[in-house]
Amino acid sequence: MFEWSEEHQMIRSAVREFVEKEVRPHREELEHGDMAPYELLRKLYKTFGLDVMAGASFDKRIAREEAAALAPMASASDDADGASEGSSGNAGMTMLPIIELCRCSPGMVTAMGVSVGLTAAAINGKGTIAQRKRWARDIATMEKIGAWAITEPNSGSDAFGSMQATARLDGDEFVLNGSKTFITNGPYADTIVFICKLDEGNPLNERRVVQFVLDAGMPGLEQSKPLRKMGMHSSPTGMLFLDDVRVGYDRLLGETLESFGGKAGREASKATFTMERTGVAAMALGIIERCLELCVPYAKERVQFGQPIGNYQLIQLKLANMEVARLNVQNLVFRVLEMSAAGKGMSLSEASAMKLYSAQIATQVAMEAVQLFGGNGYMAEYEVEQLARDAKVLQIYAGTDEIQITHIAKALLA
Amino acid sequence: MHVVVCVKQIPDPAVPGALNADHTLKREGKPILDESDSYGVEMALQLVDAAGGGEVTLISMAANEETAGLRTALAMGAAKAVLVSDPACAGSDALGTAKALAKAVERAGSVDLVLTATESSDGYTGTVPAQMAELLGWPALTFAKKVDIADGTVTIQRQTEAGYDTVQASLPALVSVTAGVVEPRYPSFKGIMAAKNKPVDICTAADLGLDGQLGWAGARQTITNVENAPARQAGEKFEDDGTGFEKVVSFLENLKVI
Repeated sequence: MFEWSEEHQMIRSAVREFVEKEVRPHREELEHGDMAPYELLRKLYKTFGLDVMAGASFDKRIAREEAAALAPMASASDDADGASEGSSGNAGMTMLPIIELCRCSPGMVTAMGVSVGLTAAAINGKGTIAQRKRWARDIATMEKIGAWAITEPNSGSDAFGSMQATARLDGDEFVLNGSKTFITNGPYADTIVFICKLDEGNPLNERRVVQFVLDAGMPGLEQSKPLRKMGMHSSPTGMLFLDDVRVGYDRLLGETLESFGGKAGREASKATFTMERTGVAAMALGIIERCLELCVPYAKERVQFGQPIGNYQLIQLKLANMEVARLNVQNLVFRVLEMSAAGKGMSLSEASAMKLYSAQIATQVAMEAVQLFGGNGYMAEYEVEQLARDAKVLQIYAGTDEIQITHIAKALLA
Repeated sequence: MHVVVCVKQIPDPAVPGALNADHTLKREGKPILDESDSYGVEMALQLVDAAGGGEVTLISMAANEETAGLRTALAMGAAKAVLVSDPACAGSDALGTAKALAKAVERAGSVDLVLTATESSDGYTGTVPAQMAELLGWPALTFAKKVDIADGTVTIQRQTEAGYDTVQASLPALVSVTAGVVEPRYPSFKGIMAAKNKPVDICTAADLGLDGQLGWAGARQTITNVENAPARQAGEKFEDDGTGFEKVVSFLENLKVI
């Protein structure tokens, strides 16, 4: 694959038109935090039939698994079919809305990705069929908004090691306590996957990690107002406080304590990380494309010392570097699509390398776009300022640059 | 109900257009669906829905076998397309185009209604709809801003300078619709993926029995010259000495706005 297919181009132009008509007019409100992104995301899903598609694909998968549970002999081959069907050919449909939304409001992609990507994936990965039907379907169709709560004030990159949130068994119930922060969609989420450690009276570092599904409004659960951030203002981020929240086994993902740990669990987490990291490459591409689209005409029109600044080689260097970045990141995205179409999974190390490069180069490009615009670029009126603030988080969330480096190095040195 | 929509694939207006030496429009690069035709496609889909069943067929004409613009309309929900595609189409005048499209309507089978735009965004002759209706022997209802169908009758609100006329005819009929008759839908992702497998019946002038009647060979009009539209005149300037509002009021009165 060296260019977008005809279908891809149709999807791209339809989504681009939608973004220009429906999202861009709200960019200011989204930027200043007066507007949550969810109604626009729901409109996007409805307009392009993504809600119906997600619902149908969910139902199909569940029906297949239920049938397989009744006839276990057939399950192996069915699973293989299911795995390839979920991804092949459809990767473009996932990537293009990410790229197009990032050309306007990258935060919307974060809000969307954490809900339909991370939260639904966590429930689908660990949950029983009953739990998936109860929570994951509505998240997949964007009817409900999900949040995935792992980070705590004292645990970031070392998420599990320093985790202090606890679940304690009390009869048939668990009592949950702790606080979470930097939780995307936290302020507005309907459904929250809460990750904590099971307190069985043993030392902190020996405790098992368990996950529960919570609904907004449960007694003892408090969702903070959105936090003020450097960028990604169209993605509401908040804190969660749990004070003796009581839940039954029906909210423990997997419904048994034995379902945690083991190889299957680690594989599921790796698949989620890989998906998240390749998604960041698509986000970077949208940001870089937009920067170029804004910078090229500006370089032609902006006159200093009697000529367009595009005549100066220092400006030309900036534009050329942006174009090199665009080509590289686009090729990485194409590779994700190709591998997916071939039914091949990407290694975590490669996804990490892709994320590391894309995040760094998108930040560089956006900062250079500000520089190219000069004083204008520093003003909020000129969009590049927003893109530069938004791009920075790509180097921090979904695993910091430093964490990506460790994952790449670990694979190299293994 | 079977509704046919005439759609034109035109050069992307976002790209600067250019003319050939014979004054015709250069049609290089990937064409797009003429936006003014997207209203007819949407109207047709809604009418078929309201009728409780049926399908929408597109018809179009091109000098080459280009279908990129048609795919957009197929992705919106049209079932199939008939494309008159023949190098001999190049240079067709409005009447030649109307002949080809009328024959294509006949080829599409039993048709209840033909929808067109009022004019294309690249040629702007605005005469093809009436010519087609004449060739089909059907009533032409033009400039519709609202279309209703009931009991074998089509009723439209025909846009006029003063408001609208209500015009009615029995089916089959041809209706040209204005932009704004309905809001065109975005194609769904599923529709886009399905569009590539929808049938496009590509036929030549000979297939339609129009050998020698299309293109330069059949054209009764020639383009002798193309000139740029006159530049817009600069407006009148007044210094506001405190009585500027009077100038504004009298200007608006002249326009009969107030």
